[in-house]
Amino acid sequence: MKRTQFSLGFIVRRSMVHRRVRSLAALLALTVSAAVATTLLTLYVSLNRQLHQQFRAFGANIVLTAPDGSTLPSETLATVRAIAGSESRIVPFAYAVAQTADGAPIVVAGTDFNAARAMDSWWQVSRWPNAAAATPGSPVAAMVGTRAQGFLHGDDFPLTYNGHTLALHTEATLRTGAAEDSRIFIPLAAFTAWTGQSASTLEIQAPGSAAQVEDLLHRLRAALPGVQVHAVRQLVESEGRIVDRTRSLMLSSLVLIALTVGICVLATLTASVLERRRDFAIMKALGSTQHQVALLFLLEAALLALAGAAAGYLLGSLCAFGIGAWNFHATIPPLWQAAPAVLLLNLFVALLAAGLPMRILRTMEPATLLRGE
Amino acid sequence: MATILQSAVGSEALIHLHGLTREYASRAGAVRALDQVTLTIERGEWVAVMGPSGSGKSTLVNILGCLDQPTHGSVRIAGTDVHQLSRQELDRFRAETIGFIFQQFHLIPYLTALENILLAQYFHSMTDEDEARRALASVGLGDRATHLPSQLSGGEQQRVCIARALINQPPILLADEPTGNLDAANQEIVQEHLRTLHRAGHTIVMVTHDPEMASLADRTVELHHGRIAAERRADLTAQK
Repeated sequence: MKRTQFSLGFIVRRSMVHRRVRSLAALLALTVSAAVATTLLTLYVSLNRQLHQQFRAFGANIVLTAPDGSTLPSETLATVRAIAGSESRIVPFAYAVAQTADGAPIVVAGTDFNAARAMDSWWQVSRWPNAAAATPGSPVAAMVGTRAQGFLHGDDFPLTYNGHTLALHTEATLRTGAAEDSRIFIPLAAFTAWTGQSASTLEIQAPGSAAQVEDLLHRLRAALPGVQVHAVRQLVESEGRIVDRTRSLMLSSLVLIALTVGICVLATLTASVLERRRDFAIMKALGSTQHQVALLFLLEAALLALAGAAAGYLLGSLCAFGIGAWNFHATIPPLWQAAPAVLLLNLFVALLAAGLPMRILRTMEPATLLRGE
Repeated sequence: MATILQSAVGSEALIHLHGLTREYASRAGAVRALDQVTLTIERGEWVAVMGPSGSGKSTLVNILGCLDQPTHGSVRIAGTDVHQLSRQELDRFRAETIGFIFQQFHLIPYLTALENILLAQYFHSMTDEDEARRALASVGLGDRATHLPSQLSGGEQQRVCIARALINQPPILLADEPTGNLDAANQEIVQEHLRTLHRAGHTIVMVTHDPEMASLADRTVELHHGRIAAERRADLTAQK
């Protein structure tokens, strides 16, 4: 007696290969459903991060200022860094009103150019000055606001503060459309050495939701009782509102699209099972049990769901990556946690699509099916 | 299941139908395909069922093959009242007791000739490729084992169907118009196979329109409007 490898798996494989167009259509439907689910899930999960990143480009959402024209205690920056965490961006500012060679008053700000560049990426700067490249004895590199330029003569100019004159060189120009356009920015170390004043303001860009920013505010106020801590309300509240609404919109879209795709997959697979009702009846005539035939159809649906989930996950991750790069100019990595969810979703839809017609076929006599009814 | 088959050994008539009625619902009301049919078929007998289209021939064969359920009446096959069997028992009973030969052949299109026979073995118990090849050779298709149904002629497909019906050695063969779709040459081949099977002791119930095919049977039952209109033995004596 020669045993063969004849099994349900073998029959399923032959059936799928023989009906390759139908199988491919079903596989395509399941791949699309998995891809849509993966894309939406990945975008939904990363949306919070992406939107907050977008809002970070708008600048600080918390401002710390020293009371009544004084400066911040020297340990303030370290304290704020410890409380706000490494994810937060912090830029110190010190301000003084100096005089030009013509005796015109002008606001000079000392800051950390690298930190300001990271936080205020929306500022239009011709070329950010490099404070580290400054050489002793040479003019201090300055970033001059476009309106402030009108008070100066040439790129090299002196400014006087409390009788101390400082030689400066216009390294860059700045345009923000706001008060910064009337100011001259120089490195904080040079500012302190010139004016004897340290930072009076810290601008903080804290990540997270409105609630998280509020929480940080409370902690900063508690840790720095003598310092005024303000939220930039428009930014914090707008950010919270927009993030919440966008997430709701995404969730609604996810549910609607998943339902639509699910129904399409259901229709495709159901038709695929129903068109083989004659095979079902023949197998019944040959003595197969209900269980065996059901297993045959469910196995095929499960295999398609598995392959569709794998292909759809890759495709969906690619789509999410593309959307991230296109819309957010950010890298959205594959969401590994979405893989089991997408697989379960695909399996559920495929088994439902195969199971429903199986229930119908079970109630029909094989003779009826063989007649083609 | 063993008890189902064991009970068949001791019984006289292999098939006994009593007051068999089958109604189908339609828009115009209930359609009675079979109407109070009572029929007994002995072990080893070859019965031809004749009658015009719509007379209930195929319905009768489908009920005998447990592919359909009567609305009223009883069906006893091999001593078993099939109405009393659960779905699972009915599946098993069908695999053990009945072999089908269909007019439309009803081969699985994506399985080769050999695999179609293996499929019947698979649902019955376990596959044995050597035995399946022998069955295929016995119907003259030893060299067609790897051909798909679409690569076989109608006659060849019908012979595969016969080999498939016989592979599990069922006591009853049900043939619904076995030569209905065949040319004269293939019809002769199939007739010869059926004669051989009959000589080997198989019980055959065959639906046919063809008087020549019917003449091969021990007995002919004529159905009209779902009722038995006449029964004739091979000696042409009208019984009814």
